[in-house]
Amino acid sequence: MGFIVESLRMALGLILSGDREVFSAVWTSLDVALWSVVFASVVGVPVGIAVALGKFPMKGAVRVFLNSLMAMPTVVVGLLVYGFISRQGPLGFLGLLFTPKAIIIGLTILATPVVANYTLVAIQGADERILPTALTLGASKLQSLFQLIREVRFGIIASIIAGFGRVISEVGVAMMLGGNIRFYTRTITTAIALQTSNGEFAFGLALGVILMAISLAVNVFLTVAQESHRA
Amino acid sequence: MSIAKYQLSSIQALYGSTLGVDVDELTITAGGLHVLVGANGSGKSTLLGILAFLNRPSHGKMSFDGVPVNWEPKECTLLRRRVTLLHQNPYMFSGTVAANVSFGLMARGFSKESAQSVVKESLERVGLTGFESRKAKQLSGGESRRVALARALACKTDVLLLDEPMANVDRATADLLESLLASLAAGGMTIVMSSHDELLGAKLGAKVIHLEDGKLSRTPGPSPSSEFPHSTGRDNANS
Repeated sequence: MGFIVESLRMALGLILSGDREVFSAVWTSLDVALWSVVFASVVGVPVGIAVALGKFPMKGAVRVFLNSLMAMPTVVVGLLVYGFISRQGPLGFLGLLFTPKAIIIGLTILATPVVANYTLVAIQGADERILPTALTLGASKLQSLFQLIREVRFGIIASIIAGFGRVISEVGVAMMLGGNIRFYTRTITTAIALQTSNGEFAFGLALGVILMAISLAVNVFLTVAQESHRA
Repeated sequence: MSIAKYQLSSIQALYGSTLGVDVDELTITAGGLHVLVGANGSGKSTLLGILAFLNRPSHGKMSFDGVPVNWEPKECTLLRRRVTLLHQNPYMFSGTVAANVSFGLMARGFSKESAQSVVKESLERVGLTGFESRKAKQLSGGESRRVALARALACKTDVLLLDEPMANVDRATADLLESLLASLAAGGMTIVMSSHDELLGAKLGAKVIHLEDGKLSRTPGPSPSSEFPHSTGRDNANS
């Protein structure tokens, strides 16, 4: 127990002293996570809405496929993207491997099905009177759709946050595509994996505390936003 | 001679896999109050949905103000700006009462400022003066229905459709609705409302349209119905 308490004390010391390596990993994590969530939202939210509202053949199969993508192993995504962007791959000439951009590509692929599925659930769970009410008040189909999105906006925000949760805690893609390069592509999770295996438990713990704090902050934000909406 | 607002010919609509509405001929004249009377499942709501250009019939022809309806999306949007349907259990959008009442105006491109006076006037008409800043989701059931009516009135459409507006309302709200609908009809608005109540049409001096199992019924009601071109000559007296 003393070991953990002592490590925790050292971890807090690293955080409070603004340790450059710790905060570099935090910054890289936030950077790649935020960009990948932005891209995943740009794709995932419309896909979720289209699947929820659309009438097309094989809709059930598309839903099952989207659900299956949510459980996609991160190392498989890392492997596939690696194949495309490695020197021998079709996109190798872009020189993306072991850069933050490579991590963003992998994380976007991971987060998109999460955002799409949760958006789909939010839209399907919306009150079915919303669209006819908007339409009969003279709104166009597009205006009615925006009103529907407005009504379920917290569900959509939750889908984006779920996507963020998926990528901020991810390690496989960041390791395979980023290469865990110090002060460049090292993220919180890859740093924890490396430092802990090197015996730097306090360092890993410091990053773990920050990772937990980020997750907590995001959830508090969502809860407060939802509560203020209900009030 | 009254001008036809709606003319329906061989209109059929499916409700799920069953035939919800099967109307041979129906003319609804412009202006005045019309009551669709029928039991639960008689097709009143389905027919109102068609008249509101929300539900496309699976078969048949309909014209509005003498112009055939093609059910093209753009055309329907334009037509829906001339007709409003007040649902039986209206949905309140999140936000304030003012935001709800001004929704139709904003959809039509009104500015917030120009919508304000219409919102105020509409709320006054339904007896909810000063409710502008109230949260719409926190209103009681009766207040929500009045706000929904104000929201529909604010659109200033030619036609107002109401699905069972008298169901589950208190006496005061029913009285307010009756007098409001009478004054709107007297002002030239075409109002079509549905009801279970056989006597409501007579009470309101409305033209009664009977529906039974989705079909127009010729059973004499308290007030002779609007137009059934294929029925007796007496029925055409209103056209």
